[in-house]
Amino acid sequence: MPNMIVCVKQIADPEAPAGSFRVDESANQVVPAAGVSQVVSPFDEQAVEAALRIKDAHGGKITAISLGKSFVMDVIKKPLSMGSDELILLQDPAFEGADSRSTAYALAMAIKKVGEYDVIFCGRQAADWDAGQVGSGIAEFLGIPSVTVAKKVEFLDGKVKVERVTSDGYEVIEVSTPALITISNELGEPRYPKLKGIMAAAKKEVPTWTAQDIGADASQLGTAGARIKLLKVFQPVKEGKCEIIEGESPEEAAANLALKLREAKLI
Amino acid sequence: MKFEGVDYYNVDELLSDEEKMTKDMVRDFLEKEIEPLVVGAFHQEEPLNMRELAPRMGELGIIGAVIPKEYGAAGANYVTFGLICQELERVDSSLRSFVGVESGLVMYPIWKFGSEEQKNKWLPLLAKGEAIGCFGLTEPNRGSDVASMETVAKKDGNKWVINGTKQWISEASVADIAVVWARTDDGVRGFLVERGTEGFSQTFQNHKGSMRAGDVGELGFSDCVILSDNILPKTEGLRSTFMCLNQARYGIACGAIGAAMDCYETALNYAKEREQFGSPIASYQLVQDKLVTMLIEITKGQLLAYRLGRLMDEGKARHQQISMAKKNNVSVARMCARTARELLGANGVSLDYSPMRHMANIESVYTYQGTDHIHTLILGYDITGIPAFAQTQ
Ligand SMILES: Cc1cc2nc3c(=O)[nH]c(=O)nc-3n(C[C@H](O)[C@H](O)[C@H](O)COP(=O)(O)OP(=O)(O)OC[C@H]3O[C@@H](n4cnc5c(N)ncnc54)[C@H](O)[C@@H]3O)c2cc1C
Ligand SMILES: Cc1cc2nc3c(=O)[nH]c(=O)nc-3n(C[C@H](O)[C@H](O)[C@H](O)COP(=O)(O)OP(=O)(O)OC[C@H]3O[C@@H](n4cnc5c(N)ncnc54)[C@H](O)[C@@H]3O)c2cc1C
Repeated sequence: MPNMIVCVKQIADPEAPAGSFRVDESANQVVPAAGVSQVVSPFDEQAVEAALRIKDAHGGKITAISLGKSFVMDVIKKPLSMGSDELILLQDPAFEGADSRSTAYALAMAIKKVGEYDVIFCGRQAADWDAGQVGSGIAEFLGIPSVTVAKKVEFLDGKVKVERVTSDGYEVIEVSTPALITISNELGEPRYPKLKGIMAAAKKEVPTWTAQDIGADASQLGTAGARIKLLKVFQPVKEGKCEIIEGESPEEAAANLALKLREAKLI
Repeated sequence: MKFEGVDYYNVDELLSDEEKMTKDMVRDFLEKEIEPLVVGAFHQEEPLNMRELAPRMGELGIIGAVIPKEYGAAGANYVTFGLICQELERVDSSLRSFVGVESGLVMYPIWKFGSEEQKNKWLPLLAKGEAIGCFGLTEPNRGSDVASMETVAKKDGNKWVINGTKQWISEASVADIAVVWARTDDGVRGFLVERGTEGFSQTFQNHKGSMRAGDVGELGFSDCVILSDNILPKTEGLRSTFMCLNQARYGIACGAIGAAMDCYETALNYAKEREQFGSPIASYQLVQDKLVTMLIEITKGQLLAYRLGRLMDEGKARHQQISMAKKNNVSVARMCARTARELLGANGVSLDYSPMRHMANIESVYTYQGTDHIHTLILGYDITGIPAFAQTQ
């Protein structure tokens, strides 16, 4: 029976209208308005779903791990309410200011502490920054193979068969376990939690691990471990100009339009 | 985007994680799976197909949520049940009606007054949504005045013979099992009558201007013979009937606020976007006054429903308190539906927006499970000690 780990991230609802986010240029931060709710990143919910489908077929154990701060318990416990067995939160000021690399390092250290694992699942990218690097980063730190943007994952003893999305279809890949798989939205809708699952999840004690608990090297964590520096976050100024192209006939108007476009070096 | 309902007094902070997660789950499920079906069902008066939807609701555990786990239900608390009702009615009253009837009027009486065999046979099926039940109390000639019901059950050896008609019964035509109230030599008792029993008819009633997405109909009993073990053994007169009504009335008190919340949100968003005379209509004092009135009444109703839920969980709710919440919150929903309809101008009469549908539905809710008058009389009796239900008491 497979041991599975799913990495999940709590983010501001990505479907909130763009207008409800404010860019704080001095702090290089995007600040959601007060009314915007927190959710589990949708791709991560699908990663939980991928693990649950394997559990439905083969049994096994699912441990969800989340790194973050200001966890909202009724949000971050969703993987438990959907049917995961354990949830571990990673929270420590030392984790803050992380880039994809230092996030992947912290998660990899936590996964090492969990110990046994056959398959690790991540969403294809977190739906806030869309970097899509943490999954492969974890695999790198753990020295295991990874397959990205999966739409179907089958567990076969000692290996995993993955359908990986490509631009014009999908490819079928077999990978030995332990392996890390990132899940794409083509996997399909995640299941709804059931009331009984919610009640069990609400009661469940959730441990919080710090940098020390996972035996992390402080120089690899958070800002210290980051290799990427965010230089500037800003709201692009969009200028909308409209010009009506005239012409005696539709043909003439079209010719005038073509001329204009060529002048603007657009065609 | 995840819907965030109006919560001006941070009532959400009073909720446990379990309660909040349930609310989110039901909201998410309804928005994706059921809401798209509602307008068509209402428009055509073709009830939502509960044969298909009930098992899906059952799988999530939202039917009969407060019934204990040993009977296949979730064993949740009343506040959770109330939030389920709120979310259901935010979409359409017929959905809350369905879950309210199944939970409070079918599963509850079987659980409270049924034999162990009846409970083991029916509760798990009902909780899963694999069986559907209905509750037959109202009759063509007897509505508010249930004490003088005309349906009779006569004992004949080890059988009961039932004669009479029950009208305006939710889920009448789809039900697999009916909880039926009838007069016996021993006072009013509850019976379980199964679909297909000889002398038992179930018909769908159309031409409604309200609850058009739901199933309402008639149950007919013409020398309908059932075995004696189909009586709910622990029912004791109308007292038992009213215990069921209290469950469903609590569900309505919470549900109606859901409908009101949806009307308010719809009106607020519309008013902020709709421009007349050069500015959004939300910028006019008359419009703000209406929005604020809705908000205040909804907030009071939310607090009433929340407090009542906690009292129910503590086993301390008096039926008069349930009456107050039912009466108030349905009136709030009625006012909000009308006001939202008004603020939407002509679009308000279109079924493309929800207020007109809520407004029509709420008329049923105002009347069933004790009319607004009847709840006034219950409260009046409670505070004066003088019953005013009949000309001669
Ligand atoms: C959509 C829908 C679904 C329903 N589902 C069910 C169901 O599942 N099961 C079920 O058993 N019933 C159901 N009902 C019936 C409902 O419970 C009754 O309609 C309700 O109890 C009122 O009875 P009535 O319609 O006979 O009105 P009446 O009792 O005839 O009342 C008519 C009017 O007279 C007023 N009135 C009556 N007595 C007094 C008094 N003493 N003082 C002052 N005013 C008084 C009432 O307030 C009302 O305004 C449903 C009704 C609807 C509309
Ligand atoms: C069944 C039906 C038939 C109709 N037939 C016709 C027809 O034959 N011919 C025709 O021309 N029209 C017709 N109408 C349209 C009708 O006249 C308009 O709906 C009406 O004038 C209101 O306009 P509106 O719907 O755009 O609402 P809006 O003007 O957008 O008003 C929306 C809300 O804002 C409020 N509001 C607007 N401005 C202010 C303000 N300054 N201060 C305070 N509150 C304000 C309104 O009172 C309303 O509550 C019909 C409408 C219906 C429903």
